[in-house]
Amino acid sequence: MTRPPGTHLSPDEIDSWLSGNLAREWQQHLDQCQTCLERVRIEREIVDQIATLPLMSPAEGFSDRVMASVSVPDPFSIRSLQATRRRIFATRRSLAIAASLALLILGSMGGSIAWSLANQETLASVGNWLLTAGGQVAWLSLRGVASNVIEQPWYTGFRSLLENPGRLAVASGLATTVYLIGVLALRRLLALPTQQVAHASI
Amino acid sequence: MSSGRPEWASLTDQDVVLLARSGQEAAYRELIRRYERPLFALLFRMVRDRELAEDLAQETFVKALNAIDSYRPEFKFSSWIFKIGNNAAIDHLRRRELDTLSLDGSPHAETPEAMQATALQIGARQESPLDTVEAKELGGAIEAAIGALRPEYRSCILLRHVEGRPYEEIAEILDLPLGTVKTYIHRARNELREALAHLKE
Repeated sequence: MTRPPGTHLSPDEIDSWLSGNLAREWQQHLDQCQTCLERVRIEREIVDQIATLPLMSPAEGFSDRVMASVSVPDPFSIRSLQATRRRIFATRRSLAIAASLALLILGSMGGSIAWSLANQETLASVGNWLLTAGGQVAWLSLRGVASNVIEQPWYTGFRSLLENPGRLAVASGLATTVYLIGVLALRRLLALPTQQVAHASI
Repeated sequence: MSSGRPEWASLTDQDVVLLARSGQEAAYRELIRRYERPLFALLFRMVRDRELAEDLAQETFVKALNAIDSYRPEFKFSSWIFKIGNNAAIDHLRRRELDTLSLDGSPHAETPEAMQATALQIGARQESPLDTVEAKELGGAIEAAIGALRPEYRSCILLRHVEGRPYEEIAEILDLPLGTVKTYIHRARNELREALAHLKE
């Protein structure tokens, strides 16, 4: 690089000087040129002053405030997804099987949609038949269950209980109490430990 | 690594991002720990308001960490987070354009003459008591002089001389050509030199 006579340091050369990478030729120019020397001295002063600006921190708890609005992905679902992906891409065979399955599923779905659109009348008549037959089956089942209950030996006692409001109230009260005791017992059994369990600390 | 926990100091930003992507909350916190101070300092000096700078820093981290999957590891994480933060600050300053215009000239002005023509004189600006308090908090003429630069210059000079980022990275952060970044930094230093000249006298 040859320096044209009478030229001074360009901004790029001043930057090079500030970073300590000024070419030797320009360094020699700097030793003789008072204008450039004064210029780089002032630039150095400004840069030094900027570099001494105080460090600043946000208020305490900043990290917690940020994290309250960040959704961290569930490691388990990521791991299972990654494991599935690894298994699929493990060999050419597994990839071919996965691709065939995906094609089969997508093809079946596409075929089914296409067939439904082309055979709407058939679908409607099948639907009607299913509705009628389903209704008949449901009615017969209900009748069967009712006849079965009526023929049970305890049915007479149960019926007399329904006819006496006092007995019915006592029976309902007893049943509710037993139910509540059961719920309380279950809650106690399923409650988390209130004290730290030694082996469970992370 | 020891007892299953990562030795954070030995991990690069890219490694920490990978751990964050795998669902480790500690990795998210490590990224915040690494960048909360430089990002906050940059934003504070951009908007000159502590509360607002903290809001912008929080918004930046939330945006970046919720989109951690879209981060491309071939780029520096620092460039990415500074880019999001700087855009947030510039957007905010643009919304306050009247105030910014009065100080720095139109953001669309290309030449120093155009900027001067569209700007009010800094000396003509009436400092409110709040400004005075802020100026005291920022402390020193250099802080005030940086605060009076137009936002683009401010970002460049802060990233270069406070954060020590190379020109190429600043160009990437600000989406500007390398030559423009160099010009902005040079002009910013010129303006700072002029603004601080009275101290010499």
